[in-house]
Amino acid sequence: MSEIKKGQPKRGVSVYSYAGVLNVSMTLDDVFKDMYDMGATCFELLTSHIENYPNPSTQWIDHFFWLCDKYKMQPAELGHWAETHLHRGPRMTDDEILANMVRDFKLANLLGFHSLRTKITCINRHCDPEPGWEKDIERALPYAEKYDVAMLSECHAPTTLKRKHIWDYIEFADKHQTKHFGINVDFGTFVNPKENDYPPEMKERMNRMVSEEDGGYSRPEDIIPILPYSRTCHAKFNYMDENFHECGIPYEQILNIMVEQGWNGNLVSEYEGPRRDEAEYLGDQLRRQHIMMNRILGY
Amino acid sequence: MVENYYVQARGFHNIYNDDGTIWGFQFCMRTKYYKGLWLSQFRAGDAIVDGVKYPRETLIWNIQGMDYTREEMYDRMDQYWQVNDIATVKVPCPGGLKQGYHTVEIQFGWVNNYNTPLEAEYDGSGLGLMGPYSNLGGKPGTYKLDSKATERTLLLVW
Repeated sequence: MSEIKKGQPKRGVSVYSYAGVLNVSMTLDDVFKDMYDMGATCFELLTSHIENYPNPSTQWIDHFFWLCDKYKMQPAELGHWAETHLHRGPRMTDDEILANMVRDFKLANLLGFHSLRTKITCINRHCDPEPGWEKDIERALPYAEKYDVAMLSECHAPTTLKRKHIWDYIEFADKHQTKHFGINVDFGTFVNPKENDYPPEMKERMNRMVSEEDGGYSRPEDIIPILPYSRTCHAKFNYMDENFHECGIPYEQILNIMVEQGWNGNLVSEYEGPRRDEAEYLGDQLRRQHIMMNRILGY
Repeated sequence: MVENYYVQARGFHNIYNDDGTIWGFQFCMRTKYYKGLWLSQFRAGDAIVDGVKYPRETLIWNIQGMDYTREEMYDRMDQYWQVNDIATVKVPCPGGLKQGYHTVEIQFGWVNNYNTPLEAEYDGSGLGLMGPYSNLGGKPGTYKLDSKATERTLLLVW
């Protein structure tokens, strides 16, 4: 059996991390400057960060590319929403749903993104999809191919990588033999809510969440069968201590598995801990996380 | 740049008619959510100023330069309200507010496709499924309206 060539995940940042400070105390230019300091080479943007979305001006687009160029930053993923209930009454028509999706595909293509974090309408906190999702994704697939984007559904805590709908998605991708639909693994799924080193108040919050639900979480090795279906993952973190250790997510194990499995996708940092509206605290947490990933990956 | 509050200090003043009488007053707000909303996803509630309730049906919302009533927003699935664009809420109140400090609160919420059961109240009679008044620990679609979640004290000059 031939040996798998080691992967080289790219270190990046999701602008989502800056949601609490963007246009409050930092501009998009400031965010790019910050990400560059971390050694990030790619980023995620949300449609919510595009001025005058869904119709950005040519001036904004020019400035966007100027920022990418200045800070040597590659567009990785555009976070968007496959809306199905934008008006009162019954679900939108199939054509309305498709038109909204294709509009975002075109925009992603224009801005240089090849991954989309496609939010499929969910019916509960485990992100189980609204029945009928297959038809929407099936109709969108030819357009995703045309505009060279992969629709990635996020596996986000409390969803685990063993949840049925994750495997329904993988089965769907296999059935259609497509690389344009897959999974974005959010590393929050690896948090063991009962056993972690988070500060007491965070630990308590996570324990409370678990007592309400079934408390499942993913193990690092659960990511192995998912990786071929993933181009971009959310490098979620909740708290980095002063020793550059994420207190609840086994980063070393996860990243080493990704490298061993030959994964070359984008890792975009998503900070979801406290004090997200304080630019200095947030910047420090992000830098700590990138030091950790730099040490594990060696770059 | 916007202020790190729901209700903004900037944009708070009376609204004058051409003849110099006062039609009402206005203030600005933002959702503080991490993403923008299509207007049809927004659920506008009452404004409460100095303990006086100004009913949701009477308020006018100016978003990206266009005036909307609460009812008019429900069907605008083509208008996107970007995350840090502020809305101006115009409140009919003949005579307006006096110069000085006022407590201003605006009740609102939204619906989206995010990890919650689909909205039961298609007529928009509630405040949606998420937002500062949503009782996330309780039954979806229930609200803590007495929480004064968005209340802020502002100083009015004119």
